[in-house]
Amino acid sequence: IKLISDAGFQGEITSISTAAQQIEVFSRILKTSVTTYLNSTPETLNKNLSECSAMVCHGQHTYVYAQVLLSVLATEQKGGHVIRRLQQEVQKEAMKSNHDVTPITMALMAGFQHTRAAQCLSSMLSKDALNPADIVQLHKLYNSSDPPPVELLRIPQFLELLIDSLFKPGSKLNQEHKSKYIFLLAYASSVCDTYSVKKGGRKSINKDEVKGTMQALEKVHSICSNTKGNMELLAELETLYKCIKFAVVSLGVIKWVENIVCEPNYFSLNSDYCPIHLALLDEVVSNHPLLHSTVLQLYTTLFEGSYGEMEILAALEIKKMLVDRLVNLLSRGYVLPVVKYMAQCWQNTDTDISLIRYFVTEVLETIAPPYSQEFVSLFLPLVENDEITGSMRVDMDSDPVSEFIVHCKATHGTNPAA
Amino acid sequence: MASSIQSDTSLWLHNKLGTSNDSWTGGSIVSQLNPDILKKIRNCFQDLQPQVKLKLLLSFLHIGRRNLEQWRSGLEAILEVGLHDSEPWVSMLADLMRTFPSTGQLNTEVSAPDTNRKIYMDLLSELRKTLKKHGDQTDSVLPLECHFLNKNAFISVVGHQPQPSKHFSLKRKPKAAALKADLMQRSQEAANKVKS
Repeated sequence: IKLISDAGFQGEITSISTAAQQIEVFSRILKTSVTTYLNSTPETLNKNLSECSAMVCHGQHTYVYAQVLLSVLATEQKGGHVIRRLQQEVQKEAMKSNHDVTPITMALMAGFQHTRAAQCLSSMLSKDALNPADIVQLHKLYNSSDPPPVELLRIPQFLELLIDSLFKPGSKLNQEHKSKYIFLLAYASSVCDTYSVKKGGRKSINKDEVKGTMQALEKVHSICSNTKGNMELLAELETLYKCIKFAVVSLGVIKWVENIVCEPNYFSLNSDYCPIHLALLDEVVSNHPLLHSTVLQLYTTLFEGSYGEMEILAALEIKKMLVDRLVNLLSRGYVLPVVKYMAQCWQNTDTDISLIRYFVTEVLETIAPPYSQEFVSLFLPLVENDEITGSMRVDMDSDPVSEFIVHCKATHGTNPAA
Repeated sequence: MASSIQSDTSLWLHNKLGTSNDSWTGGSIVSQLNPDILKKIRNCFQDLQPQVKLKLLLSFLHIGRRNLEQWRSGLEAILEVGLHDSEPWVSMLADLMRTFPSTGQLNTEVSAPDTNRKIYMDLLSELRKTLKKHGDQTDSVLPLECHFLNKNAFISVVGHQPQPSKHFSLKRKPKAAALKADLMQRSQEAANKVKS
């Protein structure tokens, strides 16, 4: 194995258990894998992340070795946060296999510093569940005049646990301490803190936005948790729209909506053209580009649902409404992933062609030149396809389909798709 | 006599840690450690199988703060033996964990033996180079906590992000805009009804 590796054929060594036996060979494979991750395109990102994570998690010793190395790289000025994301994905992968990596995470972050806060967090992260005693203690620590660094609270697993406990329908939240959960979530999402655990010491801290963020979380949490009828929900719309401006509230709303709309019969019981829950996601999409991919994921799950309990035409109407949501996502800047998704639906031939046609029509009515080359090369094949747009063309050049094709041919070469 | 105690300890460790092929360990062995046993482990450590050595060292991560402080010298003695182990993985792990009993943190400065230091430093510097070259390309890949942050906090963590590239201009608002206007109007009516 070492000979193969020495000769530079890392890619040929497919069995990680063989490669991991020697630290030198493992290091080379790690290098190749991290480099591949750094060269990812948006399409290959998830695949590269999960391949690299699986390799790192081969053993606990490989995990510790790689995480120490990555933690050094994560402090680099340039690209450090890209490495931090890799560390988080590796952590998630280990948790998926039921390994408790919390002690390693904490040893990389705080060690013996900020012991009390670190202990509270450790105990909750290890069990992957929150508990009131530790929350009360953390609340006290972060409410003090010299709070521990905010970066300790910003462990994604902890933030997700807070969102779940506040916004997942049916989660049992200790009412007495509810405001403390909200405080910690608001604190984590709004404080600007220059405290660096690695360097030790703080230059400045700004907590101006904690109160406003808390109020927004409180309002929306109370609307979401008091299972209201559509009428009451509608009456609260303005409040919801305002609070959605906070990213953390939006994440809560996504969590809440996801659970509600994925219930069986949700759509067959709903008579509106577009249920209010999904309209809320439109607002999330207009405000938070970073949450686009999360929302797209939910939309695609819904779009691929079978709705077997409904009549075919009614189910088709729901999917058309979902196409409208996708077009909104596209018009708010999440362009290539949406077009790629629809192109993929068309290639897989399991989507009703009328839905693809509807998508193309709506997009053509929404957009105007100049178009990017990438967009044209993805979208033009759909527009040019006779099966999709044949019925939409009238006289040469005077309909949106022909106009788009003529424009692309004139400005982007004869056939960018080829 | 001494050798029989040693072989007892190594047999015990072997039964506890040497049974599976992967190195993940939950640290259940930690509840049975104490200063005496640590001394015995130190004496037989060299003769253990590499897999058992790795798992033993990794189990230290599960020792609570108070015990870490009380057992510090015993743990450090084992790590010291591990540092000179002939299996590079064992010496690497012992080096990474060298600071753990005293600070609770992992050591990021691998120093011995020389071969390990070179492997580690080479890897680090090559990845640093790659990072410098490709840092911009993957700029949109952000740590997961960024999704939760208010704008100011976001900037304080990752700085200003580049504007996403534009793929077309808009000639009309999407249907969602009309839907929002309609819902806002109905919301007013609903609010009045709920009040009355």
